[in-house]
Amino acid sequence: MNNIYLPNLVTIEDIYEEAPDVRSFRLVFKDPKLRDTFEFKTGQFGLYSAFGLGESTFCIASSPTRKGYIQCTFRKSGRVTGGLAQLSIGDTMGFRGPYGNHFPVDEWKGKNIVFIAGGIGLPPVRSVIWNVLDRREDFGNITIVYGAKTVADLVYKEELKHWEERGDVNLVQAVDPGGQTPDWKGSVGFVPTVLKEAAPKAENSVAVTCGPPIMIKFVLNTLLELGFEEGSVYTTLENRMKCGVGKCGRCNVGDVYVCKEGPVYTAAEIKRMYNDF
Amino acid sequence: MEKILRQKAKELLESGAVNVVIGYGWNRSKTRTTPVFITDPAQADTLVWNPLCVNNLSLYLTRKFKEIKALGKPAIVAKGCDIRNIVVLITEGQFKREDVFIIGMTCNGVVYKQELWKGELTANIMPTKCHNCDVRNPHMTDFVVGEKTNFTPPEVPTGMVFDKIKELDSKPQSERWDFWIKEFSKCVKCYACRQVCSLCYCERCITEKNMPQWIETSAHPRGNLSWNLTRAMHLVGRCTFCGECERACPVNIPLNLINQKMIGVVKESFDFKSGYDEKTHPPMIVFSPDDKENFIK
Amino acid sequence: MADKILKKAGLGALIESVTGKGGRFVAPTTDSRQVVFKKVKSAEEVATDYILARNSFKEFLFPQTEVVAEFTMSKDSVDMKGVEVYAPQTVVFGARPCEAASLAGMRALFTWDFIDEFYTKREENTVVVTVACTKGDDACFCTTVNLSPESTEGTDVYLREAADSYIVQAVTEKGKKFVETHAAVFSEGNAKAEPLFMPEKIANIDIAKVSARLKDKTHYDDKVWARLTSKCIGCGACTFVCPTCRCFDIVDEGTAFEGERRKNWDSCQYDTFTLHASGHNPREHQHQRWRNRFMCKFHFYPEKFSSKGCVGCGRCIRVCPVRLDITEVMEEFSK
Repeated sequence: MNNIYLPNLVTIEDIYEEAPDVRSFRLVFKDPKLRDTFEFKTGQFGLYSAFGLGESTFCIASSPTRKGYIQCTFRKSGRVTGGLAQLSIGDTMGFRGPYGNHFPVDEWKGKNIVFIAGGIGLPPVRSVIWNVLDRREDFGNITIVYGAKTVADLVYKEELKHWEERGDVNLVQAVDPGGQTPDWKGSVGFVPTVLKEAAPKAENSVAVTCGPPIMIKFVLNTLLELGFEEGSVYTTLENRMKCGVGKCGRCNVGDVYVCKEGPVYTAAEIKRMYNDF
Repeated sequence: MEKILRQKAKELLESGAVNVVIGYGWNRSKTRTTPVFITDPAQADTLVWNPLCVNNLSLYLTRKFKEIKALGKPAIVAKGCDIRNIVVLITEGQFKREDVFIIGMTCNGVVYKQELWKGELTANIMPTKCHNCDVRNPHMTDFVVGEKTNFTPPEVPTGMVFDKIKELDSKPQSERWDFWIKEFSKCVKCYACRQVCSLCYCERCITEKNMPQWIETSAHPRGNLSWNLTRAMHLVGRCTFCGECERACPVNIPLNLINQKMIGVVKESFDFKSGYDEKTHPPMIVFSPDDKENFIK
Repeated sequence: MADKILKKAGLGALIESVTGKGGRFVAPTTDSRQVVFKKVKSAEEVATDYILARNSFKEFLFPQTEVVAEFTMSKDSVDMKGVEVYAPQTVVFGARPCEAASLAGMRALFTWDFIDEFYTKREENTVVVTVACTKGDDACFCTTVNLSPESTEGTDVYLREAADSYIVQAVTEKGKKFVETHAAVFSEGNAKAEPLFMPEKIANIDIAKVSARLKDKTHYDDKVWARLTSKCIGCGACTFVCPTCRCFDIVDEGTAFEGERRKNWDSCQYDTFTLHASGHNPREHQHQRWRNRFMCKFHFYPEKFSSKGCVGCGRCIRVCPVRLDITEVMEEFSK
């Protein structure tokens, strides 16, 4: 019987502490065949199991250009993520996926790309960033605007440093007012404001954003003000899900099922959707 | 009675004494009553009063209903039994007496379930609570609608619920256990019992706490038992036997039996009945040196 | 021409014939002072005097709680394996034409790209034997959603009640096969069907208009939702008895060493249903949750699956503790 709810077993190969209560797992499939054949596209998500506690949904934070493993990043906030946080290197967990649609990275050849992320919204964007950076010559200017509540809450600190240093990426880091430390060199302000100041040029550009729903709403407006076209602005909605396959009835925004018809949408599509996320 | 009720509601809304009147109105076909929230004095005439007014509207005074709270100061159309719940809410600090205007309805009983109504209120379609009611003349009010009744409840409580409790009490423990396991096995875990209860006002119910998972969410005997027993325990010394949980239960679990049994135990142990005096705290939240200790074995 | 007849007295033989072949026979039966669909073993258990069973028969296709996988854990190993679906040959007897019509939508949903075999296998092994209504009540509104006691959507075998028998019409191939398999209990004959109960179509409701209004996004923030539905107490009883509601949760249960993953009924009427880990809730207010349910029935299902999301059985109206009547909202959206 084909059981759509049965996860694959994965082993935790490495764990990275990203921020207080936020960590990343590098996961490999136990089944060697699946390890070789597993494919996904950037922007897709999965359901991760802590056995005995349940499943939780998050994006695949690694890039499909990096084969042989997947990475996920999560914040310890509930029963399942709390259970996942207790696992160590070598432990087994479950993974179902990949599900959902993806960012049409191939269509962006020759374009400038602007990434805008807030807090724990960076992981889905990270998948796209690495996908793009691994084919750097295919794209024009790359700008990353990333902000979090406090300096400590910035995730992927090592990678931020790398992006800052590599010279072919324009990285703007920000923290919310009050979240800065004395030696903070980045911007201070909310992501939409910082984005407005950074004012990346809209011509021949696409933008990719993810963050808390309220941030997404403001960032979309800011991008449109900056002259970005609705069809060139992408976001990914991270609604609560249980099944991931269009059955359980949770993730819909109006009549749109995020797990089936998303999670990636253009601003034009968001505009057509119900104001309910 | 309806005329006086409507007049009073209109007057309260027009004078600005209250912003909303929580009461009963008709459904479209005028076969059933349904809760209404009247904010426009012109709509006061849609208020109704009859034996179909079964709902305990005190539910809408709780913090579960933020949208109704946002309407402003409420007046509530309440039977004596509903007022008992308001009393408990006040003793538990949910709001103050002056926060609500109580329009007390003198009551001769309501139907157990609305679908039993055939145009006449007869003893056999009334719930047990009505047969033993000592608040037909509502006890804590700002305004009373209706003539005083002389009804005195029987000294020894009567009715189906009491008979059934007596019958169950006479059975050995194993049979009582089997009875409840069978009843709870029907539970579909919809939590209608909790949602309809004005004393279940926790914003995060224990069923929604999953670290650890106190109550398994599956509708299997283990999860059903822990839910129903936990709820019963949370209502000890608080439940007024308004019967809303049993009425709302889509699978007819006789919840009144558990609740009335608990009420009996509290009466016996603490000589306390909930919902009569807003200045007395219920026994489960106060310590008294006279408290019985016979449960320690 | 003679009709195919099932004698009412022959119901016991039909039950025996089904259960004798290892099947389960589900029929309305009286339990706790109400008529509910349950597995029965004899004709005596089958209720005859009822409008509709309180529950819908969906629980025999999509159980309230169902194990989908089992896992074991020890210090250094974890294993999880899937569970085979329990899908015995099932006869649902005494369904009403309205609720039978729910199957198309359920199937569309459970086969939407990903096939949930826990549902499909069970449904494939189920024969729905509908008994057309000879009575109803003021909550019935099948005719308002373009169905009627004469509808055979979703029905495999359609029965019309006569004095001491049922007039049998096999609707689908599955139904024909069922009648052949149990040929011994059916006979040829003539019987006069009793008149059907036709609920009056609610005058002010136009179902096409309702769907069209919902498609137009402007209704979304309309105050009408709060006005009509703020009395909803969020108990979810409507969703549990509804033949087309199918929202569920996936949970793990067990000890530290072994356990199972279950698929449990859930309800879009609960405040925690869509609650994010961050505390953000896309459907924070009860009227938004109610709007979601209404849209699911009159917009998503027709739009996405070209099927009915509401069959007009009226269960939600009967079961609602605050008598929130879905037809009153339909009426508002027909304006």
